[in-house]
Parts: sequence; C-alpha cells; structure tokens
Amino acid sequence: MTHTETQAECAETRFAEVFQNLGSIVRYAAARGSSDPEGIAAEVMTIAWRRLPSLPADDPRPWLFVTARNLLMAERRRTGRQAPFDERHAEAPAPEAESGDPAVTAALMQLRPADRDALLLVSWDDLTPAQAAGVAGISPVAFRVRLYRARRRFEQALSAQQGGINGPHTVGMEST
Amino acid sequence: MSRTMDRLEQARPDVTDAIDRDALFAQIVATPQDQEQPQISRCGRRRLLIGCIALAALCLTAGTAFAVTGFNLFGWHTDTTIVKSPREWQRLYHDATRQLTLPPGEHWPDRTLPPNTVTSRTQPGGTAVAIAQTAWECYWVDAIGHGDAAAGRQAHAALDDLLAHHVVVAPPGSPENVAPPAGTKPPFAIFASDGGIQYTRQMYRDAANGHPATLIQSCRANGPVGTR
Repeated sequence: MTHTETQAECAETRFAEVFQNLGSIVRYAAARGSSDPEGIAAEVMTIAWRRLPSLPADDPRPWLFVTARNLLMAERRRTGRQAPFDERHAEAPAPEAESGDPAVTAALMQLRPADRDALLLVSWDDLTPAQAAGVAGISPVAFRVRLYRARRRFEQALSAQQGGINGPHTVGMEST
Repeated sequence: MSRTMDRLEQARPDVTDAIDRDALFAQIVATPQDQEQPQISRCGRRRLLIGCIALAALCLTAGTAFAVTGFNLFGWHTDTTIVKSPREWQRLYHDATRQLTLPPGEHWPDRTLPPNTVTSRTQPGGTAVAIAQTAWECYWVDAIGHGDAAAGRQAHAALDDLLAHHVVVAPPGSPENVAPPAGTKPPFAIFASDGGIQYTRQMYRDAANGHPATLIQSCRANGPVGTR
C-alpha cells in the first residue's frame, strides 16, 4: 500500500466521523427556514471534505454549523428574501419550520435573533453551550450569560402567548 | 424554567430527510480535496501576531544594543576600552614611543592626559604616531631646504614605514570611536576612510619628485608653532 493510499484512507475515516453530523445539519437548515435543507447539508459536507485538514480535530460540529449558517445566508441572498427584523437577523436565521407548537414558535419569534439562536442551538441542535459558543462566535462564558437571559425572555414570551394563542392576535409564523 | 425548556425541546421540528447517505458519501469523497495548507486559526493568527511583535521588539532591542556597544565589521568594533588615569596614559604613550623612531636630534615631547578626562587605550599610541609623522615630515622639509637628499630619503622611508605599519584605515561608515580587529599591533593611528591616506601618500610621492609644497604646508600646519 502506497503512502498516498494510506493518506486517502485516513482522510475517508476521519470524514466518515464528520459525516455522522449530516442529519443534524439537515435539521438545523430546515429549522432555520431553508428551502433546500438537504442541499445545504450536502454542500456543508462537500466543503468539509474539501477542507478536511482545516477542520478542528477535536470537535468539528461548531465548524459545520457555522458553515451551514453561512450557506443559509447565501441562500437568503440568492432568493432575495429579506431579514424580517433587523440586520442581526442575518446572523441567526429564524425558525420557519412547523414546530408543532404554535405558542413556542410565536414566543421564539418575539426574541432577539441572538437570543433565539442561543436557545435553538442548545435545545434543537443538541450542541453543548461550549459548542454553541463556537457557532455564535463568542466566549463560552458570554454564551452562558446570553443563554440564561434568552431562557428568561423566552419564558416570559411564552407566558404571554398562553393567553393569546387562541385569540385574534396570534403571532404567526414568519412570513417570507 | 425547565418545564418551559422541555416544551421548547419537544417543539423541535420533526425533520426527516431522504438522503442516500452512502451514495452522498461516495460522491463527496470522490471529489478532490483542497491542496492548500490548513488555514491558520484565529488563535494561531494571534500567536503569529504575538510572535511577530516579539520578534520586532527583539530586533529593536538587539539593534539598539548593537548600535550602543557592538559595531562590528570585519573585526572592527566599537572601542570600549577606557583610560582615565594620567599615569596609565603616560605608560601607554611611552610604550608607543619605544616602537617608533623620531628623526635624528628629536626627542619625544612630554604628554599626559588632561585631568578629568577619559580616552581609549589606543589613543596614546595614536598620539605618538601623529607626533612621529609630523616630526619626520618637518625633518624632510628641512632636508629639502638644506639640499640634503640623503636625509630626505631617510624621512621618506620613515614616513612610508609609518603609513605601512602604524596607520590603519577604518571601514567606511565606521563610528568615531572605532577600534581595529584584535591582534592589530600597537601603536597605530586610525585614519577615516575618506581618502586621507591616499592624499598623504601622494603628498610624499610629490615631495620625492621635487614638488614639496603640500609637504611644507602639512609641516607648517601640524608642526610646532613657528616651524618653517
């Protein structure tokens, strides 16, 4: 077996571990309103393979999620969809998939994009706070503070939704 | 709050995909990987930046130290030797005079280090060389004046010997307090690299060829007051 073949096998073995996260990336993209979550995930994996030596050796998940987020934003730009709230929204694509709980979705939509992103990375994407901090691009300590505040705000927003979820002023899904 | 978080987790969208994982994996690994070197991480960039700053600081410090203490070119270096005792200066001066010759009838003048003065250890020898040079030049001028060709040739030979063995020329750009490579036998006078030694040699050649005007001028300028 030649040295090149050995290297190729090593790369494939490592990439197989990275590839295990395909489903997580599909869910992430779908939950952030991608029109083609499977395409986003496949592109993330293709980029990961191409740049395998650049991936963090210990934990590639934050890298994969950041890449997915960048592709989501590129998708938004391509399709001419505008961020619904403010510029910061572009850093944290909003949930658009049916969550099965309209009150939860409405409460999420009332949060600031950064708070919403912090909550979803941990609750929906199964990232640890340290991994999510890597995705958010802030320190783990700062992320924990953000997450704590986001939970409080979400709880308040959800409580407010409890009374109005069935009323005429229901906060609906984001329309894009 | 945990119940609220449980509710949030339960509200996670149920996403199922129809990706043929094996096919996608095979398709991806069939594509070439980038050949570029791994990108430097933010942490790596920071380390690189810190390294560059440290290197720049080191260069600056080393450069300053070099400028202050260490001019060194082909063995030429900053002269850090110091003489501050008049007695020590006179000892070095006398040592130098024993290595040099004066024209017949001349005597070494008494010289000493002025009080509250410091100088380098090569300076007493340089002083002796300069005294001998001026003395021989003036001896030659006298010989020319008296039509003493033999004395003239003797002076010319002595001066050529002085230039050959007791004068060193500092490299271009040397600082003023430069010293020749270790091992240079004292006494010696240090000439700057400004064409001075070439001028002096030409002056002696001209005098030997019957054109002593510059030599006479030099004697008048550098010799004892009232000379010639």
